[in-house]
Amino acid sequence: MRKASPKSAPARAADPSLESLFDVHEATLPNGLQVRLLPNHLAPVVSLYTFFNVGSRNERPGITGISHLFEHMMFNGAKKYGPKMFDKTLEANGGSSNAYTSHDMTVYYDDFASDALETVLDLESDRMRSLRISQDMLTSEREVVKEERRVRMDNDIGGMMDEELGTLVYKAHAYRWPVIGWMADIEAISREDCQTYFRTYYAPNNAMLYIAGDIDPKKTLALVRRYYGDIPRGPAPLPVINAEPEQRGERRSTVRHPAQSPAVMIGYRGPSAKDEDTLALDVAQYVLTKGEGSRLTRSLVYEQKLAVGVGLDWSWRIDPGTILFFLELKPDSDPQKAEAALYAELEKLARDGITERELQKALNNLRSDHLRELGTNNGRAHAMGNYEALLGDWRHVLTLPSAYAAITSEKVKAAAAKYLIPERRSVVTLLPAPSEA
Amino acid sequence: MASRKSLTPKSTPRRAAKKAPSRAKKPAATKAAPTSRPLVFPELHESTTSSGLKVVAAERGPLPMVSMRLVIRAGSSTDPAGKHGIADFAARLLRRGTRRMTAEAIDEAVEFVGASLGVGVGEDTLSVAITTPAEHFSQMLEVMGQLVMEPTFPESEVADARERALAQFANDLDEPSVIADRAMVRALWGDHPYGHDVSGSTKTVSTFTRDDAVRFHQERLGPKVAMLVVVGSVDPKKVAQAAEKSFAGWTGGPDAPMVIPALNRVVGAGRVVVVDKPDQTQSQVRLGGPGYRMGHEDYFPSTAMNVALGGGFTSRLMNEVRVNRGLTYSIGCWFDAMNAAGIFALSTFTKTESTREIIDVSLGEITKVRDSGIKPGELRDAQTYMSGLYPLRTETNESIAHSIADIRLNGLGDDWVVKFRDRLRAVTPKQVAAVARKYCFAEAPAVVVLGKADAVKKQLRGLGPITVVPASEYE
Repeated sequence: MRKASPKSAPARAADPSLESLFDVHEATLPNGLQVRLLPNHLAPVVSLYTFFNVGSRNERPGITGISHLFEHMMFNGAKKYGPKMFDKTLEANGGSSNAYTSHDMTVYYDDFASDALETVLDLESDRMRSLRISQDMLTSEREVVKEERRVRMDNDIGGMMDEELGTLVYKAHAYRWPVIGWMADIEAISREDCQTYFRTYYAPNNAMLYIAGDIDPKKTLALVRRYYGDIPRGPAPLPVINAEPEQRGERRSTVRHPAQSPAVMIGYRGPSAKDEDTLALDVAQYVLTKGEGSRLTRSLVYEQKLAVGVGLDWSWRIDPGTILFFLELKPDSDPQKAEAALYAELEKLARDGITERELQKALNNLRSDHLRELGTNNGRAHAMGNYEALLGDWRHVLTLPSAYAAITSEKVKAAAAKYLIPERRSVVTLLPAPSEA
Repeated sequence: MASRKSLTPKSTPRRAAKKAPSRAKKPAATKAAPTSRPLVFPELHESTTSSGLKVVAAERGPLPMVSMRLVIRAGSSTDPAGKHGIADFAARLLRRGTRRMTAEAIDEAVEFVGASLGVGVGEDTLSVAITTPAEHFSQMLEVMGQLVMEPTFPESEVADARERALAQFANDLDEPSVIADRAMVRALWGDHPYGHDVSGSTKTVSTFTRDDAVRFHQERLGPKVAMLVVVGSVDPKKVAQAAEKSFAGWTGGPDAPMVIPALNRVVGAGRVVVVDKPDQTQSQVRLGGPGYRMGHEDYFPSTAMNVALGGGFTSRLMNEVRVNRGLTYSIGCWFDAMNAAGIFALSTFTKTESTREIIDVSLGEITKVRDSGIKPGELRDAQTYMSGLYPLRTETNESIAHSIADIRLNGLGDDWVVKFRDRLRAVTPKQVAAVARKYCFAEAPAVVVLGKADAVKKQLRGLGPITVVPASEYE
């Protein structure tokens, strides 16, 4: 085990008030499992995160949604702890667990009383070593996931628009399909598919472990070695190819659905998380929609009264992601007018940039939000894992505020001029259709 | 990366967050093992401003942040008849202009420094909350004082807010779970002060004028029914001084909180409301009956029982409905304990064809617990589960500020958090059996189903008299 060394930190300076919170110990087991340990004795609780480098990005047509379906299967029994025993054992020891799948990764976490640490390591290592995928469990879990798809996508306007937008923005990349997958694929995924998936992506060499909270790092690492040390490496996963062709013009689609109001969702093709422009776009996001005084909220909601709400989501991804705008409109709104007002603001941003005060305001808020995220063990463990998965090093937790501080109005302007242009744009308009009574 | 609230599902969790009570904090979680260390809860420092506002301060690091929360007993249960939603409506307008600052100036003052301002209304309280970098604490408290003491409710802001609220009610009709919840509130509470949506309805909000907001402010907001809680890296002495300065001369409002009656019987007991939404391929299902007020002696046994029945991921409901039958993605039941009364309710959804099956299986599980309680081992597991996780509630300044407000508002006693795990561990199977008999639908529950009425109505025969209403009924 080595204590985290600032020498290997990214080029930026670490935020001093953060550095004191991150006394991280790190290690790599011979089987490739990477371990990060962060003690914090404020409360007798611990959060453990396991990040697997697999998400819908690693799928192909025919098995879309398998990463997510498989995420469910990880709770359904292994060699030592059989069906239903994972949750039962964990809860009976004062813990709880959940997981999520994104385009890029699959993430499991446990929050628990600190004296349950060894039990949790036993449970987690058991399923990484020896998951058992039974046909019965797969059949039943498939139904659960179908209900999840119905509630998130088929019966949800935001979900159906997002799904449509994905197919417009991406033509070749796996970001084209929703993380939850197409219904027909969820139906068709087989036990063999799951087994292959497990062997390939859930091996220790494709995983990272983060433990934050009321722990002794030395003893904890000894336990991790004892429970995970004998899990064999898996084959190296195939690299994901980004074959996405250049976009040559605006793409549009209309969704008709019984709804009260029209709505508009707009996606611009952005850079990847590692790209410097990502930080400039974060600043742009804050200037445009963070807070009541942000540009789009003030203009579209309060001054022009064209929208009930304006949302902007710039989510970091491994491969180039989507800068996504959402306009919630009123029943009698003209979606084209609202769209035009949005574009006018984006053009202004690309033409004039932002003021020094707006820049400082965005930096202040990025820092506050960053600190808030780090207020819990769960938040700290997750943040470390997320930055490591997307950027390659957990130390970005420490250096992010100073990385943002290097952003200038010029950089924001340049990023807006580069990305927020019609040629990179895809638009989904929801138009109310009469209800099929 | 800053936290980002996504509008669309970017990631899909394995399991939906269990349905948490909409107002009260979620009953805690804890570890029964004797090795578990005592909880660290910061020392509370109390003071009262010359205007009569109670202030509770707790110093806490290490993050250089401060959370402040002004809680006023002016929740939606104080809304007058015909003006349901006025507390929420007026609260949203507090930040849209004061005697000294325009809406833009308030936004700029708060948002520039990286603070966040939230105004929220629940059944019992109106709250103004600000989380700020510690160095801007005094300035932010000063803004908070202005918001509650001298809002101006500009005419044009009132008109715009009304229009936005009406659009929101319309758009809510496209949110199946929101409408199902709204229908359930009505089915449970009827005309009780807790029986309307916090934000009112199209019918009431469309009548709101500036005068309504001004009257609400004068009559309902005042220091005698308010309390300021401040938690974070700031010296309590400094908090007392800053509060004195920021709330000097605050007058108005009632001398004491309004008395809200208890709930004797849910109005929709034994009845079925089908909310028709023909485009759905799924039914949202709600079942509910009476519960208890916050601070009631049944709290701990009921909380333990609920974990076993429908709280944790290994609960009986989760096991039977989701794991064994694959009928849903999410199911849970909970007690919602408010200041004067409460309810016990179940929430889930399933594909249209299995609507009746999910209701029958759920009711079957609840009946089993009512008839036989839970096994001693189940109780022990539930106690350990909640005890283990309970300390998570003491992790952030915000959650501690919440706890302090809850404790004081509901008379729970300042040792509530520290003693919570002991009290939970002391619950016996006999106590659980008693509360199960009382709350597990001893009387037939109110049933709400939102979905394709044509297809579900015939499935629901025998559950009680059925009323079919269009979703627009809940706009």
